[in-house]
Amino acid sequence: MNEKPLEIYIFYCSNCLDTDALNKTLAEHGQDSAFKPIGLPCSGKLELVYMLKSFESGADGAILATCRKGECRFLEGNLRAEKRCEAVEALLEETGFGRGRMRLVQMARDELGLISDELDNLTATIRDG
Amino acid sequence: MIVAERKKIPELVEILQGHRKILVLGCGTCVTVCLAGGEREVSIISSALRIASRVGGHDFEIRELTIERQCDNVFIEEAADTIEEYDAVLSLGCGAGVQAIAERFAEKPVYAGLNTSFIGILEERGMWTEKCAACGSCVLHKYGGICPVTRCAKQMLNGPCGGSREDRCEVRPDRPCAWQLIYERLKKIGQIDRLKQIETPKDWSVALDGGCRVIVREDHRI
Repeated sequence: MNEKPLEIYIFYCSNCLDTDALNKTLAEHGQDSAFKPIGLPCSGKLELVYMLKSFESGADGAILATCRKGECRFLEGNLRAEKRCEAVEALLEETGFGRGRMRLVQMARDELGLISDELDNLTATIRDG
Repeated sequence: MIVAERKKIPELVEILQGHRKILVLGCGTCVTVCLAGGEREVSIISSALRIASRVGGHDFEIRELTIERQCDNVFIEEAADTIEEYDAVLSLGCGAGVQAIAERFAEKPVYAGLNTSFIGILEERGMWTEKCAACGSCVLHKYGGICPVTRCAKQMLNGPCGGSREDRCEVRPDRPCAWQLIYERLKKIGQIDRLKQIETPKDWSVALDGGCRVIVREDHRI
């Protein structure tokens, strides 16, 4: 298979995901995708337009990792992020790019496997068109 | 303030088809406050249009710009040079803003990117409600500051329709009955006797039914 490498952004709250651990997971995940991890002090910092800009600049998909509900250090940052994630999905559908490319993962620091699973799901969704 | 909401991207793409260089022009006043057409929304809609252009093969070249107020020539002039460079303008101003830009640039296609909805206020975070119908003959002083023209679905001026359930509107059960609000308010401010006065038919000739309205202030026309 000589498929074009996928460009996937990973926006993550640094309170639920350790940067070194994430980089290790991404390195183990394979070479058929180009990952762009972007750490945030809180997922609530992620404006809708930042997610949209990643798709505008060529991303095939994106994952947003937030703390689990009730565990946000800033109380409601993860709730805002979830709503914005839904809004990006709706906008991408409007543009014709389609749904399913913006994924939300709610997790704790010891649940790194969720990122790996979601990367698999996302990659499969994009590859299946 | 004027409240508006954005048109969907497929409608915007259809409107803009046939143009290549497009200026998405925001307004820094009402539509910024109602999160429909300010600098942030210009950025979001422009980004979505670029993606739609790539997916649909439309070859749009989009630039973003926001001015302080689109319904005022003083501020429009600040954007004049930029507007001249583009094939078309997608205005994220209210209907007045779009028309002000179109009048100033008579040979430039200017399109509305928003649906201007009503005059209202922010009721709670992310939720705006209509408060004024701009009827041209304000009756708020008679109803304790609550407008039955706008907030009563049947525009009743002489008491409730009788169809409300508890304190909810019969037509819009998610909204309070305006006449319940009027009654409670008049009672609180000691003006409940106002309800005994019969309201004669309202003068609708000064509302939009009489065509486009114009206000002239001779003392300012020197």
